[in-house]
Amino acid sequence: MSINEILYNIQDLSVEFHTRVGILGAVDHASLDIRRGEVLGLVGESGCGKSTLGKALMRMIEEPGKITSGKLLFDNIDILALDDSRMRELRGSRISMVFQDPMTSLNPVQRVVDHITEAIQVHQSYVTDKEARARAANLVDRLGISHDRLDDYPHHLSGGMRQRVMIGLALALRADLVIADEATTSLDVIVEAQFLDLLRELRNEFDLTILLITHNMGIVAELADRVAVMYAGRLVELAEVNQLFSNPKHPYTEGLLRAVPNIQLDEGELYKMAGSPPDLVRPPSGCRFHPRCPKVMEICSQVDPIFKSIAPNRMVNCWLYQEVPDEKLWVGGSTQ
Amino acid sequence: MAMTNTELAQNGSINQMIEDVGLLRRIWRGRLWYGTEWYITVFGGLILVTVTIVTLLAPILSPYDPNDFAGSQFIPPGGGPQVLLTRSGESNRVTESYLNEQLVGVQRNKNGTNIAIELELDYLRYQTQSEQIEALQNQEVDSILVDERDLDAIIADFPQLEIAADGIGPSFTLGTDNLGRDILSRLIWGARTVLGVAILSALLSSVVGISLGLISGFVSGPFDRVASLTMDSIYSFPGLLLAIAMAAMLGPGLLNVAIAISVIYIPTFFRVVRGQVLSIKEELHVEAARSLGAKPFSILFRYIFPLVIPSVVVVFSLNVADAILTEAGLSFIGLGLPPDVPDWGYDLSKGHSFLVAGHWWMITFPGVLITIVAMGFSLLGEGLSEILNPRLVKS
Repeated sequence: MSINEILYNIQDLSVEFHTRVGILGAVDHASLDIRRGEVLGLVGESGCGKSTLGKALMRMIEEPGKITSGKLLFDNIDILALDDSRMRELRGSRISMVFQDPMTSLNPVQRVVDHITEAIQVHQSYVTDKEARARAANLVDRLGISHDRLDDYPHHLSGGMRQRVMIGLALALRADLVIADEATTSLDVIVEAQFLDLLRELRNEFDLTILLITHNMGIVAELADRVAVMYAGRLVELAEVNQLFSNPKHPYTEGLLRAVPNIQLDEGELYKMAGSPPDLVRPPSGCRFHPRCPKVMEICSQVDPIFKSIAPNRMVNCWLYQEVPDEKLWVGGSTQ
Repeated sequence: MAMTNTELAQNGSINQMIEDVGLLRRIWRGRLWYGTEWYITVFGGLILVTVTIVTLLAPILSPYDPNDFAGSQFIPPGGGPQVLLTRSGESNRVTESYLNEQLVGVQRNKNGTNIAIELELDYLRYQTQSEQIEALQNQEVDSILVDERDLDAIIADFPQLEIAADGIGPSFTLGTDNLGRDILSRLIWGARTVLGVAILSALLSSVVGISLGLISGFVSGPFDRVASLTMDSIYSFPGLLLAIAMAAMLGPGLLNVAIAISVIYIPTFFRVVRGQVLSIKEELHVEAARSLGAKPFSILFRYIFPLVIPSVVVVFSLNVADAILTEAGLSFIGLGLPPDVPDWGYDLSKGHSFLVAGHWWMITFPGVLITIVAMGFSLLGEGLSEILNPRLVKS
């Protein structure tokens, strides 16, 4: 199984929400490959569309949201063309998700064991209750929860334990791709560290592919192989984790990294990016980052740059790294 | 030491047994975590169990037929038996065989008209007691029938009268109503009607209301809009008015009354359930279930419905209590049950018109019972909602 085998191919994905104030483009023409066996970090500030992207990968965008364009190929299965029942079969068995808040992501009136057995039996209805229970016991043992906690209700468990149960649900059927949507956000640092260790172990053991959605650069640095950076619904940079941290290309990534507190650099005050994230109902013209960009050029407000490969394993969405087209073509406010 | 170990082992197994709790055991355990108020649930339960037993044993427990004109009108609680008074010295004339030839005075509307008929006596009716006594003294009648309760006062005023026979006729623990029917028997038999109609109507409305609410909240869209609008229009009617319209349309009968009443309460279930579903379906655990590939049906019944139950139980108990009153209202208007069906609501509305005349017992006993049963349902409902909710279990 080569690391370069593409597990999930996202082409030109757009997700729009039809709200009362207008159409909100939460994900705008995003293209991305997820390779089998890797941990891909997806970072960006709140509201930039990373969770929406994650949900779109499972086709779990709810009304008023809609996937308006693009192609989703998971293991060569066209996700958007599947009918609902086939899609349901895929969810949980091939792609699964770990949610942000472990406190509320388990059914409060179901025992732990019922969660896991249901996850198993939804997809493998031939498994008997007894077998499913045995598998659940193995699974929670593996996740570091004593199997006599199986009959507990979620409120008996701590946040860390619940998140492990959530991971257990994701792993119950050996899903190929686990989407961890801010999975550690509500855990404290110690539990978070344990959780990340567990995730790393599981990844090696089960050969998982993980899409790690987070806004915590530390977690990305610790776990991810590659990182995609999102800003205002667009992917702005994609790089291997070391390259991204040592040599960020996009001005937004640069700003994002400078805004992370660093114990080694003794800066007096933390870097603060000017401005605030744009209103996605009426995004800025051209490059969406241009109103805040310290390196803004004339073309930036007029024409969209392209998310383009500038080096192997390196893609940036910025005019700084691509040839600016002839002035005649864009001067005068035309965005074409 | 060995002793202690055995004890420990025993304790361990007992604890284990307590851990394997079923519903009954959990209710029993409820007293541990329900704090000092656990007895409230038990109390509510006891009330309902008692009422249910009384309902089932009605033929054995009730002293009279509920529709029988068993005694005279308006006999107060504990009253009933009559006393036969004669002029002094003449009491020995009053024997059973001789009684028929005597003229007995009875007081209109009060002193046992029915007993005189029952004993096949020749009797004269008088408007007031003093007229009656005067007639006795004037030798117009040979003896008079008076209520046992009035006896002391009459003897005190007219020492020349003497008792020929007492304890004639039946006694009534809770008195009789305006037609001389035994109130106790009517209450015992009425419990059947009341519980039957109230529970049946609450069941009907909960089945319809809960399923509509679940579907409506879950699927949203046009179905939700139509269903909500319909329910809101039903809800905007004054409840009794709607029940009257329904009852008038369906005609009398126990099932029809239950259906008429249930229509009023469908929206309460619908609104509560729909609102809960709307908020619960946004919860993360529902989304997590979807991400596991659970089917919509299973999401609705395994992830949403159990969380709705506690509020439904409370609504149910409150609606049962309310349905009792609505049923009483329908009976009052004459659209309720057929007149030969004993019914607390009917007794209550009849009793209300005689309260001014001082006959407090006709309205008090059905009223108290309605309150107690309604309270029983509320207490049990609240208690159960806490017990059924595992989030509240202390461990």
